[in-house]
Amino acid sequence: MTSNLSRSITWRLIAAVLAVEFAAAVLVIVLSWGYERHTHFRAFDVMLHGRADSVLGAVQDAEDTEDNVMLDKADLRLPQEDIYEVYDERGRLLGRSPNWQGLGEGFAATTKDGFVRKIVNGRHYRLLRMHGSRIVDPGEPGGGKLRHVAVLYGAPTERVWGAIWHAVAVYAGGSLLLLLVSGPLVAWVLHRGLAPLRDLAALAGNVSANAWEFEPPETARTTRELAPLTHALESVLERLECAFVQQRTFVSDAAHELKTAVAVVKSSLQLLGLRTRTPAEYQAGLDRCLADTARLEDLVAKMLTLARVESATTATSTPAACDAVRCLEETMREMETVAALRQVRVDKTAPEHASVPLTAEDCQLVVSNLLLNALQHSPTGAQVQLNLSVMHDAVEMRVADHGEGIDPTVQAQVFDRFFRGDHSRSRATGGAGLGLAICKAVVEKAGGSIALASTPGQGTIVTVRLPRA
Amino acid sequence: MRVLLVEDEVRLAENLAAALRDAAGFAVDWAADGEEGDAFARNSVYDLVILDLMLPKLDGLGVLKRLRARKDATPVLILTAKEGKAAIIELLNAGADDYLAKPFDLGELIARAKALIRRGKGAAHPMLTAVNVEVNTLEQTVHRAGSLVDLSPTEYRILEYLMHHPRKVVSKRELLEHLYDYNWEHHSNVIEAHVSNLRKKLDAAESDAAPVIETLRGRGYRLATLPEPGRDE
Repeated sequence: MTSNLSRSITWRLIAAVLAVEFAAAVLVIVLSWGYERHTHFRAFDVMLHGRADSVLGAVQDAEDTEDNVMLDKADLRLPQEDIYEVYDERGRLLGRSPNWQGLGEGFAATTKDGFVRKIVNGRHYRLLRMHGSRIVDPGEPGGGKLRHVAVLYGAPTERVWGAIWHAVAVYAGGSLLLLLVSGPLVAWVLHRGLAPLRDLAALAGNVSANAWEFEPPETARTTRELAPLTHALESVLERLECAFVQQRTFVSDAAHELKTAVAVVKSSLQLLGLRTRTPAEYQAGLDRCLADTARLEDLVAKMLTLARVESATTATSTPAACDAVRCLEETMREMETVAALRQVRVDKTAPEHASVPLTAEDCQLVVSNLLLNALQHSPTGAQVQLNLSVMHDAVEMRVADHGEGIDPTVQAQVFDRFFRGDHSRSRATGGAGLGLAICKAVVEKAGGSIALASTPGQGTIVTVRLPRA
Repeated sequence: MRVLLVEDEVRLAENLAAALRDAAGFAVDWAADGEEGDAFARNSVYDLVILDLMLPKLDGLGVLKRLRARKDATPVLILTAKEGKAAIIELLNAGADDYLAKPFDLGELIARAKALIRRGKGAAHPMLTAVNVEVNTLEQTVHRAGSLVDLSPTEYRILEYLMHHPRKVVSKRELLEHLYDYNWEHHSNVIEAHVSNLRKKLDAAESDAAPVIETLRGRGYRLATLPEPGRDE
């Protein structure tokens, strides 16, 4: 799998599963140790009691004058490693197993019943102290004499511990085996479970700028965890394809425009050279060539402007701001001659100030493009209205002309690059079909919007809304 | 020869029309969009259609397809700024005869236009010969029996048209249609005067020879055929 990568979901999941299993195994071992120890020692204690009882049973009447008791070892059948001592109530030792030196005098009298741990002859022993009583001469009048004895009985604990450790080892072994088996098993299950993801990745990897087909596998669509990813991939690819197609169309259109413009210049020059001409003809031809070159220059300048505006979508360091009213007035002054030439009156209504988030250059670019469009589409003697108003959070600029209007079928395309409402006419007036596209790019970059409403025969209104700076 | 130029770029169209008129002596009609071009082409009076590919209203391919759907065999030269061979293959398969990529050379355009017209008339070589008259369509010069005949541009164009249609009776109306564009006044007596001058100049080049151009009263003109060797007596 992807082991060469630093982060792998599979390996992390396997590690998590193994860690949980390991923790569970430790818990099982600890709990089983405690439980086994408890049960085994209970049984051991019961056994100690039984054996101590049989030692007590071996305490018999000494048949002496003081009615003492004695330990009769003859009938005792006890394991050889076990140790025992018996004292009477006066602390006198009655008997002791041969393999032991005992705990010493006074032990029987001072301590209570219970268990003690001791190391005897280098071995761990568990000792039970138990008090018992014997009736000497029960047949005598008065019911005989009651004699108290203390029995100390011990057995080595090695075997008990051995059994406990053995049981714990079985549990531990089982857990280890589970760990060893579950590692590869989890890996295999994950590998199978992640198959839809790999299929999806393989298909997505096939997508390129030339092949946008992306049909996600059914498993990816129906897997709950993958569905959002699949959906996101699909929509991203769709948007990318759309952008790519737009870009390609733009490049193709731009190439067409540039080639045509170059073809004009070239043909003008070649036409001039077809035959010998008079100096006046040459002069006129050169003037035409110059005009053609100026158009080519204008086209290149506009394309560069558009490229500049569109490429600078990433926020500039300092937010721009300028006064739209000043910009409007300046543009109107620049356009005065054009307006006079076409005999069009420009009316303006605007407040004192209206700050918009554009550089002065960009603001003028928008205003001059819109105003020039309005002037060019206005019939002689008509009026163009420029209207600037400040709302509470936006600045709205409207440019209205009373020209021929735009065919409703093509109104949606007016902001497209290289679109011309009236092809031959716009070409004749030198328009490259980039003006509105540039306006749109500038306005949208500044977070504003631009819209066009037109009624054929009545005129066109372009509305620009910009946030207040 | 009359050429239909369908081109939306005004300045380019102006230059092309001027070059075709000046250098090739063609009559040129100009249409600024596809629909207009299609309407012009329906007159079937053109010897060549020069068609830009990206046109408003109806693109060049659309114009071409309509033209060929009408079984119009007029040669078509496409002007294209499109990249890639696929577009060119599609154009040629749709019935275009040739193409030129923008920006093109005016001289090449004129040469290709002439070649297409020539091919359209069934002539493979720019030198046209009939009887003992030789017409060089490149230099636009005419020789009869070896001596140069000096013709006016219109006279030359009439002769060239007739040379392209040997043995065919060409009406005055046909000559008018093919030699003048829509900017000219149509008067058939203009043709008569030009043909009369042309005939005089040709006959002056070789005395006591049979006339090159026959007049069929009420029908038109025809290039005289060579008397066949066996029936010379």
